[in-house]
Amino acid sequence: MKTLLAWLLWLWMCLVIVGAFFYAPVVLQGFRTPGSSRIVFFHVPMAWSSFIGFIAAAVWSLLYLIRRNPRHDRAAAVAIEIGLLFGILATLTGAMWARIEWGAWWNWDPRQTSILAVILFYGAYLALRQSVEEPEKRARLAAAYALLGLAVTPFLFWVVPRITFSLHPDPVVNRSGKVDMDAANEQVLFASGFGFAALFFWMQNLQCRLEALAERRAALKE
Amino acid sequence: METTANANLWIVAVNVVIWTGLFLYLLRLGKRLREMEKEK
Repeated sequence: MKTLLAWLLWLWMCLVIVGAFFYAPVVLQGFRTPGSSRIVFFHVPMAWSSFIGFIAAAVWSLLYLIRRNPRHDRAAAVAIEIGLLFGILATLTGAMWARIEWGAWWNWDPRQTSILAVILFYGAYLALRQSVEEPEKRARLAAAYALLGLAVTPFLFWVVPRITFSLHPDPVVNRSGKVDMDAANEQVLFASGFGFAALFFWMQNLQCRLEALAERRAALKE
Repeated sequence: METTANANLWIVAVNVVIWTGLFLYLLRLGKRLREMEKEK
C-alpha cells in the first residue's frame, strides 16, 4: 500500500513537471525573462514545504511539552532538519533565478533576507540541540525554542516580504497575500505544492524511523 | 520555437530522471528500514 502511494506520488510529480513545461503558460507580468517564471513551480513549493516543516515542528514540540514522549521530540527535530533542507534548496534555486532575472545571485531583497533569517534561526535550533547533553533537558529546551518559531516563522515567511518593497514578481509576492496567476499556472503550482508536502512527510517518516532504530541500537550497545 | 520546445523536452526528461532516482532511493530506504524493524 505504501509502495503504491509512493508510485502515485512519483506519477503526480512527473505530471507536475510535464505540466510546468507544456501545460502552464509562461507568466509575463512581473518577469523580465518570462521563460524563467517556470521556476515558480519548484522554488515556491520548496519554500512552502520548509514552512510546513517548521510549523509541524512547533506542533510536535508542544505535544512533547504536554506528554513528554521522546517520539515527539524526535519528530520535531527531524521536521526542522528537513525543513532546513527545503529552505536551503529554495534559497539556492532562488539565487540562481535572481542571477538570471535581477543580474546578481544575492540582492538583500526582503524575501531573500527573511528566508536567510529563518535558516539562521533554525540553524541555531540544531546548535542548541548539539550543546545540551542530557536528553530530557535538551528535548525541553529545544521544544521551547521550536515553539518560539511559531511566532517567528509566519512573520518572516508571510508578513515581512509583504510590508516592505520586494523585487519578487507580483503574481507570487503581493500585498493581497494571494497567488495571482491564471488558472493553469495555479493548478500546476498547487499540485506541485501538494507533491512537495507529501514528499516532505515521507522523508520525515523515514528519517524518524531511522533515528529510532539508531537510538535503539545505541541503547543495546550500552 | 521548435528549439524552445526541444530544450523544454530535455529539461523535463532530466527532471523526471532526477525525481525517479530520488523516489527509487527513498523506496529502497523504506524497504531496508522495514526489514531492520522486523529484525529487532
